[in-house]
Amino acid sequence: MTGSKLKVVLAMVIVLMFGLVVVGCKNENKPSNLQRQALEKHENKRYNLRGQVVAKNVAANQITVNHDDIPGFMAAMTMPYKVKDPATLQEVKPGDKIAAEVVVVNDGSDYWLEDVRITESSGRKSAGAVPAVHRLNVGERVPSLPLVNQDGRTIHLDDFKGKAVLVTFIYTRCPLPNFCPRLSSQFAKIHDDLAKSPDDYGKTHLLTITFDPKYDTAPVLRKYGLAYLDDDPAGFGYWDFAFTTPVDLRKLADAFGLMYFEQDNQISHTMNIVLIAPDGTVAKYWSQDWTTLELEDALRRQAGTAAAAAPARASRGRTP
Amino acid sequence: MTRFLRIACIALWLAGLAMPMACSNQPYLSEDEMQGRALFEDNCAPCHQGAHPELRKQPPKLEGLFQSKSLPSGAPATDAQVRKTIIEGRGTMPAFDQRLSKEHVDDLVKYLHRLK
Repeated sequence: MTGSKLKVVLAMVIVLMFGLVVVGCKNENKPSNLQRQALEKHENKRYNLRGQVVAKNVAANQITVNHDDIPGFMAAMTMPYKVKDPATLQEVKPGDKIAAEVVVVNDGSDYWLEDVRITESSGRKSAGAVPAVHRLNVGERVPSLPLVNQDGRTIHLDDFKGKAVLVTFIYTRCPLPNFCPRLSSQFAKIHDDLAKSPDDYGKTHLLTITFDPKYDTAPVLRKYGLAYLDDDPAGFGYWDFAFTTPVDLRKLADAFGLMYFEQDNQISHTMNIVLIAPDGTVAKYWSQDWTTLELEDALRRQAGTAAAAAPARASRGRTP
Repeated sequence: MTRFLRIACIALWLAGLAMPMACSNQPYLSEDEMQGRALFEDNCAPCHQGAHPELRKQPPKLEGLFQSKSLPSGAPATDAQVRKTIIEGRGTMPAFDQRLSKEHVDDLVKYLHRLK
């Protein structure tokens, strides 16, 4: 091989080597099958839904649908869904049969409907003809079903008559910060704030009920509660954490308009806070946006301590 | 010719050096660690990454967890202790008992070792 030929061959080898560096790195940046699976795992999931609109709530941008089985997502049931396009709410009405796509954020933290199509219009006659679970209206008496609290003691909603009671539902293994941990954090703040006034504290009560009675037994609820009470068990005198039987849980959830279902050892559920008046009737619901301050104000107002507490509240900012 | 060979050798040596440096922004993860990363993003990141003013207690960041002598709780930073915390929960952290298999927890712990 002549010197000039050798030079050409060597030059080609060098170019090839640099090429390999670039190609090698490009391949490294391309996702492998496993990486691709992991990426896909984090994309939104989409499911086809067919069902009948039971109710719509324009303010909450939500429709409640009695839907068929959604393979891979959930069994047939009635539950509320946000809709992506607010115009949908103008078009659909209770009784309409619809087809839509349920879009679920991969971590389960959110879901909504897209591409809602009316497959059969209800007309005026069938509106309201769909059987729906009856949520108690404001002013209706709450059922006094037996619950078991963190100390293993049986309690009833009736036990709190004479006090304004704020009730919510959680499960202790909920891993999503915007759901149960947020609710319990807000209740903990309410506990702290109302404990500053003996009058407020004596006339109000907090009750957290679990969606997961199989796992959330009294000792589990006690441990969970202590974490939100700064390890002070005296707080249980004001804030009960309770479970009940699956049958009574369903009755309570229906009464307060909650939807829940279990899937892959997680419980998907709607969020709801109920204020019970001292006479044992429903005073108010929150199912969308609320602030801790709103809840505290409503609780004090029901307890009849709002006026006395107002000056103390004036200096506080809004809390999440 | 000798001069050209010397330059060629240096160029090849540089190319060899450049390869790992150019690719170092994509650290290699084993299959188990990849699974651990997916589990981390599904189960841990929602609380342990970002700010959470809605929560009573701020979940600690987990980067460098095993580089410290102790965990945020003060317990020793061992695999056994981290496994126990994942399964039983701690404070306001929920238990992952019956939600993650033993293999899942193993993969998660392997990935936490790589989280820096």
